[in-house]
Amino acid sequence: MGSLFRSEEVCLAQLFLHSASAYSCISELGERGLLEFRDLNPNVSPFQRRFVGEVRRCEEMEKTFTFLQQELRAAGRVLGPCPESPRAPAAREALRVQEQSEQLAQELREVSRNRASLRDNLRDLRQYLHVLREGQRFTSLPAPLGSPPRPRALSEREPILDPSLHQHLERKINFVAGVIHPWRVTAFERLLWRACRGYLVASFVEMPEPMEDPVTVRQHPGGRAGTAGESITWVIFLISHWGEQIGQKIRKISDCFHCQVYPYPESEASRTDTITKLHGRIQELSVTLEETEKYLAEVLDKVVLALPTWRVQVQKMKAIYLVLNQCSFDVTKKCLIAEVWCPVQDLTQVQDALRQGSYQSGSSVECFVQRIPTSESPPTLIRTNKFTAGFQSIVDAYGVASYQEVNPGKAP
Amino acid sequence: MPGYSEFYFNVDHGYLEGLVRGFKGGILTSADYVNLAQCETLEDLKLHLQTTDYGNFLANETGPLTVSTIDEKLKTKLLTEFHYFRNHAFEPLATFLNFVTYSYMIDNVILLITGTLHQRPIAELVPKCHPLGSFEQMEAVSIASNPTELFNAILVDTPLAAFFQDCLSENDLDEMNIEIMRNKLYKSYLEAFYKFCEKQGGTTAEIMRPILEFEADRRAFIITINSFGTELSKDDREKLYPTCGKLYPEGLHLLANADDYEQVKCVAEYYAEYKAVFEGVGSGTGEKTLEDAFFEHEVKLNVLAFNNQFHFGVFYAYVKLKEQECRNIVWIAECISQRHRTKINNYIPIF
Repeated sequence: MGSLFRSEEVCLAQLFLHSASAYSCISELGERGLLEFRDLNPNVSPFQRRFVGEVRRCEEMEKTFTFLQQELRAAGRVLGPCPESPRAPAAREALRVQEQSEQLAQELREVSRNRASLRDNLRDLRQYLHVLREGQRFTSLPAPLGSPPRPRALSEREPILDPSLHQHLERKINFVAGVIHPWRVTAFERLLWRACRGYLVASFVEMPEPMEDPVTVRQHPGGRAGTAGESITWVIFLISHWGEQIGQKIRKISDCFHCQVYPYPESEASRTDTITKLHGRIQELSVTLEETEKYLAEVLDKVVLALPTWRVQVQKMKAIYLVLNQCSFDVTKKCLIAEVWCPVQDLTQVQDALRQGSYQSGSSVECFVQRIPTSESPPTLIRTNKFTAGFQSIVDAYGVASYQEVNPGKAP
Repeated sequence: MPGYSEFYFNVDHGYLEGLVRGFKGGILTSADYVNLAQCETLEDLKLHLQTTDYGNFLANETGPLTVSTIDEKLKTKLLTEFHYFRNHAFEPLATFLNFVTYSYMIDNVILLITGTLHQRPIAELVPKCHPLGSFEQMEAVSIASNPTELFNAILVDTPLAAFFQDCLSENDLDEMNIEIMRNKLYKSYLEAFYKFCEKQGGTTAEIMRPILEFEADRRAFIITINSFGTELSKDDREKLYPTCGKLYPEGLHLLANADDYEQVKCVAEYYAEYKAVFEGVGSGTGEKTLEDAFFEHEVKLNVLAFNNQFHFGVFYAYVKLKEQECRNIVWIAECISQRHRTKINNYIPIF
């Protein structure tokens, strides 16, 4: 309160950490938040430091956590905040966390994959059903003779060639039926006309209900748990053509535009047959899909429970290893030396923390801290609480005060 | 007209120019390349790229890293950026950016036709196409059997239709004719691009002129050297040279009559910059090849584009420089993954 100089008194100290208890000591110091570590290995590149393997392990775990979180978000679940602040895990516990998280991720991937393939199948079958139903409109038998004359407007719906006559003709009509993205319809039609002009008749009609776009679902790799693709009203097309070569060209062109092509049975009877079969299969698939979704929800519940704690734990672990990377390793004496900036008031607390850390790791040799004289200027430390932190950050925005500079507000 | 661009450029294109200059600041420097060359494994390379502008672009890759994955991800990043530019561009920048994509479209079309000729399935060829040059009817080129059909059925609706005027012929598509078609398409494209830039006038024309002239002359040299030992006649060869370069008309005429590499070099000696380019080339395995020397010269010209403001050349230069950077990174990655580090420093540094 009211000193002439800004910043507390900060001194340079050396920590001697026994290599066995280094981890828990740093963990203890980290929980109290007392020190600033200096980097004693500035010339060493990041991938040549001592604990780079551990850091990489933490990063891999973080990758798994990111994947789990993405799945949760895709399924519409929200991750709650971590209830209490867990400490950084010891080596054994860390291994357990890694195993469990990987197992969960694996399970989730499998279930999502199954679910995605079930959904794909279901969508496929439903599209086929629609194609057949709509196609009926173009290829159904004409009304019997003697019916009242139909108005002109319906002439589009009449079949191109009376199917009951086609046995008399030499040429056989072949059909190519499928589904195409609505934005590509004009380009498709134009290309068809240019390539095979005159030898085919193409009809297009919109699907009665919108369906997912498989491409946008596929764009999320790993089969995300809850993503639906964009809902698009697809366009069903039915192309009748003469000749086999034209048929091949049409198929190549439809491949080029990424259309789904379905086999279109020739006769009316086989079409109705296929429709009934499709109904049955769709029913079965829906039931299986429901079961899968239930199981997926259970797995996601497990993830929601465990993930917040894990994330904080691994974050702390990574921070500890990054700090350990900054220490220099004294091979002969089997101890780590760290140089820290420490406020003079807290030196006893630091010693306390080190004692606790060595006790926890069960080592007999105690780590200790030693103050060393230095001519360098230490970093500025201004203690703030929740209230003063806001004001201090505004002052700092204009420039952080240098160590022990005169406090202009206190000048007499 | 001089003095026009500074006043009105920023209204329509200021945001995008600012954005592209920001991206240009993220291009890897020689210090980065030195660090990359020191990596022992591809994982180290990935760690290093995380500290650059690329960030975590490889973060979600499961499974072991391969050079082709890295290449793909690098291209995807460039593609996203380019699409952003194109989607936010007004005229005439939109047409300019379209012109940039046409060269890739031409390459894709030729790749698909060659593949079809060798009976490769279309699904195998499509991933090899350059993503910047993909268009809707691209995969349908496999149904065409001669250039007229190709044009009438497929390409007539695409922007490449304008470049097809010289190529219409009833000859079947075979190896030789495909190459000739490629070069004729490219010649029309380059001349159209040159005219467009000239029409824009001002700084754009000033910056793009040397770049496109160099491109034209480079094609002329490469066509000449590649045609030694083939059945291409000298007259046919002359018809393939783009005319918008410095070599037009006398140099092109001399090149058409050249019979071997030495004569080509003699022709280059008449032009100061090309003399310097050819000078640096050696024929041993450890020395620079002609291709490398051309890439170096191109990089120099593209870097110069950023010294001027209020023109479209920065977009073209950015795309080309990013491509060169991809090539560099992939070269280093290949050397690392094959543990053949003797030539690892054969990349071309940009900044």
